[in-house]
Amino acid sequence: MAKKKQDASREPEQPTKPVKKKAAKPRAAGDLPWHPVWRWLASGAILVHLLAVVSAPWGLSTGPALPPGFDALQPPQPLPPMDSPVWQRPIVVQNLHWFFHDYLNLLYLNHGYEFFAPDPAGTHVIDYQVTRAAGEPVTGRLPSHDQHWPRLLYHRHMMLSEQSTMPQLAQKSPQHYADHLATIHNGISRLELKFHNLLPPRRVADDTPLDAPSTFQLIGTIEGRPCPTPSDEPAPITGAQP
Amino acid sequence: MGVFADTRSYVAETWQAWNRFWFAPKDPATLSLIRLLAGSLLFYTHLVWSLDLQAFVGQEGWLPVEYLRQTVHAAPGTSDPQWSLWSVFFWIEPVWLLWCVHLFALLVFFCLMVGLFSRTAATLGFLLAVSYAHRVSPGAFFGLDKINCMLAMYLLLGPCGARYSLDSVRRVRRGDTSPVRPSAFANLSIRLIQVHLCIIYLFSGLAKLGGENWQAGTAVWWALANQEYQSIDMTWIASWTTVGPVLIALATHATVFWELFYCCLIWNRFTRPLTLWMAMAVHGGIALFMGMVTFGLAMIYANLAFLKPPTVRRWVDPVAGRVASLLGAAR
Repeated sequence: MAKKKQDASREPEQPTKPVKKKAAKPRAAGDLPWHPVWRWLASGAILVHLLAVVSAPWGLSTGPALPPGFDALQPPQPLPPMDSPVWQRPIVVQNLHWFFHDYLNLLYLNHGYEFFAPDPAGTHVIDYQVTRAAGEPVTGRLPSHDQHWPRLLYHRHMMLSEQSTMPQLAQKSPQHYADHLATIHNGISRLELKFHNLLPPRRVADDTPLDAPSTFQLIGTIEGRPCPTPSDEPAPITGAQP
Repeated sequence: MGVFADTRSYVAETWQAWNRFWFAPKDPATLSLIRLLAGSLLFYTHLVWSLDLQAFVGQEGWLPVEYLRQTVHAAPGTSDPQWSLWSVFFWIEPVWLLWCVHLFALLVFFCLMVGLFSRTAATLGFLLAVSYAHRVSPGAFFGLDKINCMLAMYLLLGPCGARYSLDSVRRVRRGDTSPVRPSAFANLSIRLIQVHLCIIYLFSGLAKLGGENWQAGTAVWWALANQEYQSIDMTWIASWTTVGPVLIALATHATVFWELFYCCLIWNRFTRPLTLWMAMAVHGGIALFMGMVTFGLAMIYANLAFLKPPTVRRWVDPVAGRVASLLGAAR
C-alpha cells in the first residue's frame, strides 16, 4: 500500500516523453553464455563425472558385511570364506564402482583418499647389504635421510618399502627390489624387511629413542641376484643345430 | 494447483541456481593462480624423478613394467593387463627414449608453470602426469600424485593462462590490451576442483571414523611419533604429561570434524574463512612436521579454489603487474 503511494507520488516527476523500458531478462538466461541444450548436456556430464568421483572412495571403503548378531553366536564362529553367501554384498556401491572402473583408471581417479586412515601406523623399512665379488659391501636402508635427498625422493623410497606389503603386489615386490639392488651394485643382495613400531607417549617421556632396536620387528629376509642383461646372454653359435 | 505451481517454481529456481553455480562466467584469476602454483608443483615433482629416473620409471628398476602389468594391473581372473591402466612408460624401452620423453615432460610442466601455450600445456601435462602416476602405482605413489593429476585435469578445462602467464604478456605485447573476459569454462574448472575437494575430505573423514585412535583422540600422536615421516620432532610434547594429551586429542578431534564437515562449512561465507584457515593449519602441519611439503602444498593450492577472483586479483595483481613491466608488457 505504502509502495503504491510512493509510486503515485513519483508519477508527476516522470518525464512526459515515454521512456523505452528494457525488457527484464530472467537472470539465468541473461547471464549465461551457453545455449540451454549445451547446458543440459554439460550438466549431465558433470553429474556422471561427480558420480564416478564419489564411486571410487565409496567403493574402495565399503566391503561385504556379516549379518547382525553373527559375532554373538555361541560358540564364536570363525569368519566364513569370502565366497560364502553369508556375506552381504554392498550391491549398489560395488556395481557403481565396477561401472566407472575404467573411466576412473583412465583419469587416475580410482582412489580411496584414506589419508592416515583408519589409523596411523608404524612404517615398513628395508635394510639391505650387497656383497660384491670385488670391493666393499654396499649397505643401506629404504628410506634413508642420508642417501635419498631431496625430501620428495626420500618419500618415494619410503613408499617403496611401505607399499611392498600391499596385497596387490602379491608380496613379490621385495624380491624385485633385491634383484634391482643386486643388478645396480653387481653383487648378491640380502634384504631384511622390518616393521618399525611406534612408541607411546609414556615411553618417549622415559627417553626411549624412537629408533630403539626394540622398535624394529624383523618380518623376513630375501636374497637377490643380478638380472641378466642382454649382453650377459650366451651368444648363439653360428651353424649350430638346435 | 498450488502444489504444482510451487513445485514448478522450485524446479525452475533450482535449475537457475544450478546454471549460475556451474556456468556463470567468472574472472579466470583464481584458475590462473592455481595454474601457476600447481604447474610449479608438477614441474618440481617430475624434476625429482630425474634423480633416479630409470629405477622408478624405466622398464626394469624397482618394479619392472612386465611384473606390474602381469600381476598388479591384470584384470580379475585373467593375466591380461587392464587397458584403462595406461602409461606411455609401459611401451618405452630404450633408455635414450625414456630420457627424451622425460625432458619433453619437464618442458611441458615448465610451460604450464609460466603459462606459455597454457591450454596445450595443461592437456599434455595432464596426460603426462597420469603416465608417471600409473607407472609408479602401486610402488612409489602417494597423495601428491592424486592431487597433481586432479588439478592438471581440471586446469585443462578452462582458460588457465588468461592471467599471470607468458600468454597474457605476449597478448599485451601484440597490442591487445582489452580486459580479460569472464569465462564460463573458468567457473566450471574451479567448481569441479571445489566439489572434488569436498568429496576427498568427506571420504577421508569417514575413513578416519573407522579408526579407533581417531575416535580416541590419539591419532595425531601416532602420526607425530612416526620417525620415518617426521621432519621436525614434535614428540617432546610427551613430556607435557597433563596438557600434552589434551592438545593431541583436540588436534585429532578437530581434524576429523573439519574433514567431515568441510563439504558443508566451505560454502557458507561466514564459515569459509575458518575452514580455509584450518586447511592451512592441517596441511601446513603435514608439510612442516611430517616431511610432506609437496603434498601439503598441493592440498593448500587446491583449497585456493575457494578464493574469489577479486581477492586473488587484489593479492596477486600488484606482483604480476611488476613482473609484466619487467617483461615489457605493462598495461
